[in-house]
Amino acid sequence: MTSEEALNKAGALLAPLGSETPSPDPLRKDAILPPASLPAAAAALVEQGEFYLSAITGMDLGPEAGQLEVLYHFCHAGAVVTLRVQTPRQQPEIPTICGSIPHASLYEREVVEMLGVNILGAPDTSHLYLPEDWPANTYPLRKDFVAPQAPDSAPEVGESQPGSSTGRFVVPIGPQHPALKEPGRFEFSVDGEIVTGASVRLGYVHRGIEKACEERNWTQGMYLLERVCGICSHTHAFAYVLAVEKLAGVEAPPRAQAIRELLAGLERIHSHLLWLGVAAHEAGFDTLFMYSWRDRETVMDLLEKLTGNRVNYSANILGGVKCEITSELAETIRQGLDFLENRAQHYLTVVTTDASFLQRTRGIGVTTYEQALHFGLLGPTARASGLVRDIRVEAPYGAYKSFPVSVVKETAGDLEAKFIVRIKEIFVSCAAIRMILDNLPGGELAARMPRKIPAGEAISRVEAPRGELFYFVKSNGGEKPERVHARTPSVNNFASVMQLAIGHQLADVPMILAGIDPCFSCNDRMVVLRPRHGSPQVWSWDELLRYANQVVRR
Amino acid sequence: MMNLTIDKTWDTILEQIRNWARINSPWAIHYNSGSCNGCDIEILATLTPRYDLERFGVKLQGSPRHADVLICTGPVTRQSRERLLRIYEQMPNPKFVVAVGSCAISGGAFHGCYNVIGHIDEVIPVNAYIPGCPPRPEAIIDGVVKLLNSLKNPEKIQ
Repeated sequence: MTSEEALNKAGALLAPLGSETPSPDPLRKDAILPPASLPAAAAALVEQGEFYLSAITGMDLGPEAGQLEVLYHFCHAGAVVTLRVQTPRQQPEIPTICGSIPHASLYEREVVEMLGVNILGAPDTSHLYLPEDWPANTYPLRKDFVAPQAPDSAPEVGESQPGSSTGRFVVPIGPQHPALKEPGRFEFSVDGEIVTGASVRLGYVHRGIEKACEERNWTQGMYLLERVCGICSHTHAFAYVLAVEKLAGVEAPPRAQAIRELLAGLERIHSHLLWLGVAAHEAGFDTLFMYSWRDRETVMDLLEKLTGNRVNYSANILGGVKCEITSELAETIRQGLDFLENRAQHYLTVVTTDASFLQRTRGIGVTTYEQALHFGLLGPTARASGLVRDIRVEAPYGAYKSFPVSVVKETAGDLEAKFIVRIKEIFVSCAAIRMILDNLPGGELAARMPRKIPAGEAISRVEAPRGELFYFVKSNGGEKPERVHARTPSVNNFASVMQLAIGHQLADVPMILAGIDPCFSCNDRMVVLRPRHGSPQVWSWDELLRYANQVVRR
Repeated sequence: MMNLTIDKTWDTILEQIRNWARINSPWAIHYNSGSCNGCDIEILATLTPRYDLERFGVKLQGSPRHADVLICTGPVTRQSRERLLRIYEQMPNPKFVVAVGSCAISGGAFHGCYNVIGHIDEVIPVNAYIPGCPPRPEAIIDGVVKLLNSLKNPEKIQ
């Protein structure tokens, strides 16, 4: 089904439930629904229209309007259908859509804590990002929000007592641990060796970037959003500038678009090599960790030569890019790619033939196609289960129309497949970069942008190294955005890990977790087990890793 | 038979030995209290073959109780402040804190965000500041080496 057919089908499905409103983008359809018909509409889109829920954006229309608006974005290839539901600010109530879309729960929790919408019938309405001691009735994304004073001493959050008193053994992990470099807190309850339950507490690196964007101008917002995540910083800026350019009716020159794709390709290579190292480290395969990080320096050098910085490249400006590719630089990039391809080929051989490594990956953490669909998985995690979710191919944006990439798909769904997919994607990125270098369009690097962005709403979807990145930007015609919403792929992928871990050996948990390439800073725009006196049953991540490696050696 | 005269007290000698060991092999722990990851991956890059911080004896390990140096990245978010304090308090004396990156030093790009309560030295004392967004691995090595050199001056150690 093409994007147009999907839109027509969605129109037919939604006609009896709500009224359509004009949408600026031919591939978008907006429908205004009364809250009561929302669950039916969502179920129809997913079950009959083959759409998937991509994001839920909550907005405060302001105290004068007295309304909150919640936008449910459903996607199929390039088509985006947005269900718009309004509810009074004083008593906001919207029914849950978790009945037909279980993974919507995370998005709904975000709407609950950020805007104070009462989601009727929601399976879980606890805090997702905000601290447990966050004051009641204080919602950051409301327009009249005043930041509360931080308490002098806050109680430790989300702490349940470890031990076997409740008849189950709880292994807490986080929020400080050496393997993932980022804070989050997991609790696994175990029966002997087998995990029987898992929960996650996020929010340690929640900074409040979406709100901060509303207080910065259009250009400042770009530099802030680049710092949502240091690993995929170009992708965040890319998605943001695409949305703002759409609003302004400006298209970046072809040369700028090609350079953006080239940078995205280099960023994907760096991110995948980084992940390969970290995942190998979780498996106790530190040699591979060191090798892949050594080789990663090659792509870091290329990024630096191109943009002037190793991380947080700031290559984009509104309307184009600010870095130029000279013929000498092109030659250096080609040589770098030759080396990287050669090394990636070696890693592919290692992860598919090394017997002791395969013991840790083959048949472990299997995600079936149905599960991937159920959890709404994105990116390489979904593609390893045979679910093709790749915006670069499904809905090409920017230069991906001229320089297409191919999809890497595996069907096994286990950790081995996740390794293979990511390593093969390095080849795909190398090929795309070569194609760009050989056919780099000439011309300007940037188009002129107006200082004030015309009022309107824009959606941009960009494939980050971890999956689909969704940006929603609303302008009121001023110098600052009215609302910027980013939905990062790690949110979806996280939910799956908590379910997948159940039934597995405790020793496999670190690998399963690493398998999705979790990114906490993206996620929280914000995990650790704490060594504690007198409770030997509480393990640190370090100890868990050591234990995991011992079990396998046995 | 050799006659060895020692003009220092045992306490002084022991302290000098401890300090020698401390400078030659500091163990570090890393905590991200709200960073974007940029500094964290650069710290990791600093430990891997190209930069190889381990040649200075620096070892990154997991438990605060084994650590001499706390490497902090990012601004301090509301939820991670208690944890940062707790990690700092769990470390044995003497302990040193290195703030890596603009955010750790001043809040950086996240200054004024509602869930950010400030920078590292508003929560715990900091011994060395390494600026940059993120600092290059060379800068991180330079910061660590400067910190280690400063330890040669015994007054700095409490």
